Amino acid sequence: MCGVLLTFEDRFIGKEASVSSLYFLAFAVIAIILGYGWYARSISRSVILPDPKRATPATMYMDGVDFTPANRHVLFGYQFKSIAALGPIIGPIVAVQWGWLPAVLWVIFGTLFLGWVQDYSSIMLSVREDGQTFGALSFRLISPRARTILVMFIYFYLLLLMAAFGKIVGFDLMTNPAVPLGVLLVIAIGLLAGQMTYKWKLDILLTTLITVVLAFAGIWAGTLPAVKSFMESLGGGAQSPLFFGNVTWAQFMWSLVVLVICYLGAVLPIWRWAQPINYVAFWIVFLGIAAGTLGLLIWHPSIPASFPAFTNWSGNLTSAAAAAGVDKSFTSLGPLWPILFVTIACGAISGWHSLVSSSGTARQLENESDGLFVGAGAMFLEMFLAILSILTAVVGIGAVQGFGKYADLIGSGKAGGVFALGLAEMMHHVGIPVSFGVSFGAVFLTLMALTIMYLVVRFMRVASAEFLGDSIPFFRNASFGSIVALILSAFLIYTGFWARIWILFGGANQLMASMALLLASVWLMARGKNYLWAFIPAIFMFITTVAALLWTAFAVFRQVATTPNLAVNIMVGNIAAGIIAILLVLAALILVWDGMKALRKLKTGALAEAKA
Amino acid sequence: MGDDDSKKGLVSGLKSVLYGMAGHDMTRYALKTRGSMEHLFILITMGDLLGIPILPPYYSLRLLPYVVPQISTWKRRMLREKDLTDALA
Repeated sequence: MCGVLLTFEDRFIGKEASVSSLYFLAFAVIAIILGYGWYARSISRSVILPDPKRATPATMYMDGVDFTPANRHVLFGYQFKSIAALGPIIGPIVAVQWGWLPAVLWVIFGTLFLGWVQDYSSIMLSVREDGQTFGALSFRLISPRARTILVMFIYFYLLLLMAAFGKIVGFDLMTNPAVPLGVLLVIAIGLLAGQMTYKWKLDILLTTLITVVLAFAGIWAGTLPAVKSFMESLGGGAQSPLFFGNVTWAQFMWSLVVLVICYLGAVLPIWRWAQPINYVAFWIVFLGIAAGTLGLLIWHPSIPASFPAFTNWSGNLTSAAAAAGVDKSFTSLGPLWPILFVTIACGAISGWHSLVSSSGTARQLENESDGLFVGAGAMFLEMFLAILSILTAVVGIGAVQGFGKYADLIGSGKAGGVFALGLAEMMHHVGIPVSFGVSFGAVFLTLMALTIMYLVVRFMRVASAEFLGDSIPFFRNASFGSIVALILSAFLIYTGFWARIWILFGGANQLMASMALLLASVWLMARGKNYLWAFIPAIFMFITTVAALLWTAFAVFRQVATTPNLAVNIMVGNIAAGIIAILLVLAALILVWDGMKALRKLKTGALAEAKA
Repeated sequence: MGDDDSKKGLVSGLKSVLYGMAGHDMTRYALKTRGSMEHLFILITMGDLLGIPILPPYYSLRLLPYVVPQISTWKRRMLREKDLTDALA
């Protein structure tokens, strides 16, 4: 046993690390074989019992709009695209601050025991309950106020998503002068794609070919020295001056541009703006992931010995970075448990998936036996994406420029930059120059964020119109609702401390996950089935998330109380973040109280039934 | 022969996955737009469907034959309990 541990120590943690990066992918494949091939299948066969002969809501209530049966492969692609955004990319890169080993373990074991459980059970729960969404299900199965709490979680989740993504795009990616022109041109080309498809009625293949080639040319144009120096002059040069608080002019200007893009995406018809831009962006993202994966397989470098498998329990890079020659001060992310488990949400388990699974996928499932392939399969593929993201940091940057570069970028708040540079190094091995690859990677991430952000503003304005439209009629106006959502987002973007915002975003997300798992447990129990495989993950996620939110609230309030001369914007942002964290915890406690009452009621009912 | 079939199956499966990622959303939005248009048509012709003469009946009566086949799916959409979370996907 000791020998095995020593070998592990030597190979993975010690100075003689010579493990190929392909081992990461091999671990992921083993996890899929065990998780999907054995655990998920056996749960499905013994508990869910999918019946291919039973009519699904898609076939029973087909209305040609929401309820429409779709082929299992099409639905798999749809589910994957709907669940995989910036979360499985940025979260794992940030979590590498604890070392790559905890991040890899949580991604793999999180997916294995929690992630697929939530996604699959959400689909099947909705399928068996006539295609009802989580709002209606929580109202019926838990309590009437559970629906209101769910909407509150969703609203805060989306607001925090806007803040976290807005900060990555506006403060990190767009401040790189080689990026903005590429992003703006891809948006313009997306509009052209909409015109070609819907107005000129051109063939979709021709449209795709022309617009994707133009998009690549646009990204390349952004890297030209003249363009870069122009963009730099707009943002105030390499050392952009402070505009207010700790926000530079470049950060302020580019995040404002991002908010304007989101406004247009929220108020213009979907076919005119959001849809065609998303379509062109999809090809950029897809080709980027394909080129990066291929490059990694060709290159397959060893994990660099200098890149720590484990740094420390508090996720503080100061000592590890100092050893690598980086002279920067780092803020501790927080204790490994619970903070790591909310830092990586998508990629391990994410509440967002349950909403997509119940509102979209369940209503298109043609056959009950397709549910496992679609729900669990897409989750395991997302796990692969999260592993690839970890590798962009560990080998993409680590094997070429060393751990110091990763620490330097993270210390400068450039988690997006880590991915862009790491992906560029991987794509270099399929012949793409690194200088272009970095811009491409940054445009890729920016588009991935933007395509979600304007749809989020759209939803936020619908939600505010629904809840406030009667008392404040202004909210029925699309522009007004969108502007209010954007002002709230801008408030958090300009005041919030990114790492804390990200953790809160993960916290809101994971609370939705624990609610989805609780709902699945209640449903399973109501039908007298084994519910522990969903209930134990629900308890784990609930305790972990509440602990993470309480710790974050404590950390931000402590910073306000103990730091002298704290910039006003940071002080305001910290107080807002602390209040959001406490509100989320209170809502979660009410929810779990109602959930437990529902469980107790079901248990008593089952007992009475057995006696009778 | 068996190999050819499985290769064809794999290629068509991959094509479907790619379509699901790239274009399925567009199809869904198109269907939703069509659904909204159908709502409007039904509203225009509602009076005539119920036999209540609402002016001007001439145009709505001309639309009626196009609307009748959609009534069953329209009823399902109208009568279904809706929730804010419906708007998410």
